[in-house]
Amino acid sequence: MQLLTPEGELASHETYSLTLTDAEYKLLYREMVFVRRLDQEATALQRQGQLGLWASSLGQEAAQVGSAFALEKNDFAFPTYRDHGVAWMRGVDPMKIMQVYRGVSNGGWDPFEHRCNTYTIVIGNQVLNGVGYAMGLTLDQSEDAVITYFGDGATAQGDVHEGFVFASTFDAPVVFFCQNNQWAISQPSEKFVKSPIYKRADGFGFPGVLVDGNDILAVIAVTRAALERARSGAGPTLIEAFTYRMAAHTTSDDPTRYRHENDLQNWKLKDPIERLKVMLARNGIADRSFFDAVGAEADTWGETLRASVRSMPEPPPESIFDHVYTEKHAVLDGQRAAFIDYHEGFADSGVH
Amino acid sequence: MAIEIFHLPDAGEGLTEAEIVRWLVEPGDSVLVNQMVVEIETAKAIVELPIPWAGVVCAIHEDIGSVVPVGAQIISIEVGAQPQREPVLVGYGVKEDALVTRRPRRESTQRVQPVLAGVTAKPIVRKLAKDNAIDLSTVVGTGRNGEVTREDVNAAIGGDASAPRGSQDQLGERIPVRGVQRMMAEAMVASAFTAPHVTEWVDVDMSRTLEVVERMRVANSGRITPFVVVAAALIRAAQKYPRINSSWVDTTEGADVVIHPHVNLGFAADTPAGLLVPVVRNASAANFLALSTGITEQMEKARSGAATPTDLTGGTITLTNIGVFGVDGGTPIIAPGQASILAMGRIMNRPWVVNDAIVIRPIMQLTLSFDHRIIDGALGSRALASVATYLADPALEELVLKN
Amino acid sequence: MTTELTMAKALNLALRTAMEADNKVILFGEDIGKLGGVFRVTDGLHKDFGEHRVIDSPLAESGIVGTAIGLAMRGYRPVLEIQFDGFVFPGFDQIISQLAKVHRRTHGSVKLPITIRIPYGGGIGAVEHHSESPEAFFAHIPGLRVLTPSDPQSAYSCLLSAIRSDDPVIFFEPKRRYWDKGVVDQTQAIAAPWQARILRAGSDVSVVAYGPMVKTALQAADASEYSLEIIDLQSLSPIDDKSIAESVARTGRLVIVHEAPGTLGLGAEIAARIGKSCFYNLVAPIERVTGYDIPYPPSKLEEYYLPDHDRILFAVDSVMEA
Repeated sequence: MQLLTPEGELASHETYSLTLTDAEYKLLYREMVFVRRLDQEATALQRQGQLGLWASSLGQEAAQVGSAFALEKNDFAFPTYRDHGVAWMRGVDPMKIMQVYRGVSNGGWDPFEHRCNTYTIVIGNQVLNGVGYAMGLTLDQSEDAVITYFGDGATAQGDVHEGFVFASTFDAPVVFFCQNNQWAISQPSEKFVKSPIYKRADGFGFPGVLVDGNDILAVIAVTRAALERARSGAGPTLIEAFTYRMAAHTTSDDPTRYRHENDLQNWKLKDPIERLKVMLARNGIADRSFFDAVGAEADTWGETLRASVRSMPEPPPESIFDHVYTEKHAVLDGQRAAFIDYHEGFADSGVH
Repeated sequence: MAIEIFHLPDAGEGLTEAEIVRWLVEPGDSVLVNQMVVEIETAKAIVELPIPWAGVVCAIHEDIGSVVPVGAQIISIEVGAQPQREPVLVGYGVKEDALVTRRPRRESTQRVQPVLAGVTAKPIVRKLAKDNAIDLSTVVGTGRNGEVTREDVNAAIGGDASAPRGSQDQLGERIPVRGVQRMMAEAMVASAFTAPHVTEWVDVDMSRTLEVVERMRVANSGRITPFVVVAAALIRAAQKYPRINSSWVDTTEGADVVIHPHVNLGFAADTPAGLLVPVVRNASAANFLALSTGITEQMEKARSGAATPTDLTGGTITLTNIGVFGVDGGTPIIAPGQASILAMGRIMNRPWVVNDAIVIRPIMQLTLSFDHRIIDGALGSRALASVATYLADPALEELVLKN
Repeated sequence: MTTELTMAKALNLALRTAMEADNKVILFGEDIGKLGGVFRVTDGLHKDFGEHRVIDSPLAESGIVGTAIGLAMRGYRPVLEIQFDGFVFPGFDQIISQLAKVHRRTHGSVKLPITIRIPYGGGIGAVEHHSESPEAFFAHIPGLRVLTPSDPQSAYSCLLSAIRSDDPVIFFEPKRRYWDKGVVDQTQAIAAPWQARILRAGSDVSVVAYGPMVKTALQAADASEYSLEIIDLQSLSPIDDKSIAESVARTGRLVIVHEAPGTLGLGAEIAARIGKSCFYNLVAPIERVTGYDIPYPPSKLEEYYLPDHDRILFAVDSVMEA
């Protein structure tokens, strides 16, 4: 499914269509530019030792920003560790994302504040969690829906298949949003996906849709339709957004060991931001001054982000004992007290 | 202008070093924030590193091909007017080994285990007690929080843990050593095998001491005994030679000699409960009469069984009167934690040479044992001699001292 | 033949040696082929032994373990790689319900000579699920053997023994020590990997450690005013009680060190056993120096969680003062 070609031309589709205001088109462009800037800054900060690790979303901006744009305020997203565009669109403070990769927090934000779960790192776990949340919506007769994200690699996991079974069984209002970025670390998805991922939905009894994941307009249209289906009580949809992981799996990965440079160059031609930019310019929605202004704004913002990350305070050591249990726990309270005594017992330990 | 130094970060999970493959800049080049400046090869990948500042490259610290540890300085940038100071970049990864030394602690932390009810003793001590048919509940523990120690059990056995106990009927009367006696035995063993003892003695003509005692009796200004005068003599000696009134304290750094500010005089008392050593606290501040009163009171308490642990502990020096048993001298054992003990023998008329003539005089032998770690022979001898000198003419000495 | 190698290279050499000796030895796991594994332990083996013996698996741990059981029933000797400690749990079901029990269930007719390599432990500044020490779960399960090396030599010897064992072996690799170098003697007979090693003799306190904490314990011994005897456990199941007990009989004092949380960790088991066998040799309560009973903290705080030489020495003081 495609509504915007790699050359930036609008296309039509027999089932799906999308009309946005000029302001919305420009907003989408701006959001993608910022998400990409976030990714670039974070990658650089990791190289400079300011972050422990970074999982790049480069090239997947349309899939992430577009699908999250389609959500209503009260819908709930279950992202993976790479879905920075989703967290961004749900209003999560990027510094909270930085906290996770800086090693200051394992989560950082309140999922209920943003209707966006914290990142899940164990592959596929969040799919079942999202389905369960959706089952709760049904029980509550809520109009809200859930979107749960995962990658092509995760489709091998039992949790993902079990998620399909449970969602189907209970007609859960959930959208399974698979970003097929074609690489499970070093493994090309073509190796373990012998028939397209979206077709698997058939076997579970709900529809599957393939969408150009670098086409933000198509992603929005498809996701909106799937969310509407969920709200109507008709059950889940599987969306396969076909995209490309343009960076390494994470900053500690070396993709030159397993993939060709040519591949990357081909996908650069399909860049999701460039194609929207061409469309905006071609249709007179935006001009150079707009693009320059967004670029300048992102530059300033990037500078602030770098400074904020570098000066991010470290949490107090005894906070490692916080939030392990909801109520007092005698054993842990004892360990915390002993921990504090131990650290204060050093001759050079500062005022506490 | 300021110089920012860029340190090699950990470009992967837990790498410790990387090889410089290629510099993308050279000294004098201008660089922008996030500009790639160097290509490095780690154990996992070849990556380019961006520089976090804008400015001019002023130095490159590592050559191509060199293998550099994470955290090492690799390039310096002269930055603009407002440099941002940042934490040192050592990257994330294996972090350790620079110098493994112990970080000093503020104090030796007391790790007192909560004491539960019942007898406390280590398993190995319980085994010792069991093998020797000792009922631990009858043993007074001298360890921390009343723990029964191996020594306590050894003392209960009779001091020789290695000797198996024979069957009861093969032996003569067996007198259990318990309570105060056991504590005394314990203390004596501890002292005798810790402090190297030196014992010296001297005879002294007690004529003038007895005169003073008699004159005070006649003057009815209070009752004193020769023992009180000897105690006073010892106190004066301790003030003159403070080391005889001190303690040897082992520390983690070695050992200290702790000089006590006051003389707490312990004196041996033969009581129905056995030999006790009541203590007159701050005896150095007391005059003859007060000293006499203090000694009498403590003696009464000890004999009547009214002495509390406070009355029986805290001594800094000890005086023992063995003369009451009709003997002259011996080799007294220093109370644990003290530096010296003085024994006075009986006072007995003996031939004594005065001005080249043999005359009869009341003579007493003084014996001083001292801890040779604290007190050398010269000091010990002088201290003993000063006691003798005092007793040879107490009135004169008091006069001298008071002036 | 001796060579100086990193632990990662020593493991690589052991895999190569085992594969050369027995063509039924196959490697199976995520990204172990061209990439050489995320820690490069299988580097070069895909090239030299081919894709039928160094097999990139789909991303599914239950799948990896479950199919390896079938491969083993066909006579293969699979060596599996689980990418990180925190990712073993999707495969936990197959390990506990099948791998550990098949031999007994079949009255001994089926052997499952499967080795599961798992990089484990913290200290590398990683994100969540990449620093855990789940060894106690596996040591708790009858039917599994559990090994963990501490240096390149023990990595080489232990991994070869694990692969040669006809029992399933969970093989924990201390990932913060992958880059530590040491001499590996390939001619050395496999030095009793199921036994503890005394790496340093001492007279005051026996210190038992394993995996990543062995080096930390050796550092503590260097920095201590007391004479510490450092015991590298190597085998977590079975535990070599005898070597520990013999040491404690000499020293009378025991400190056990591990990264995993203390409650019901290996230290608890060792303490119980030595508490019994050395009841009358102990002159101090047994001390444990472990991680706290909390989820592994974010990496900026991990140094407060991980036992270090100071914490070991604090425990040593405690047993010396008791």
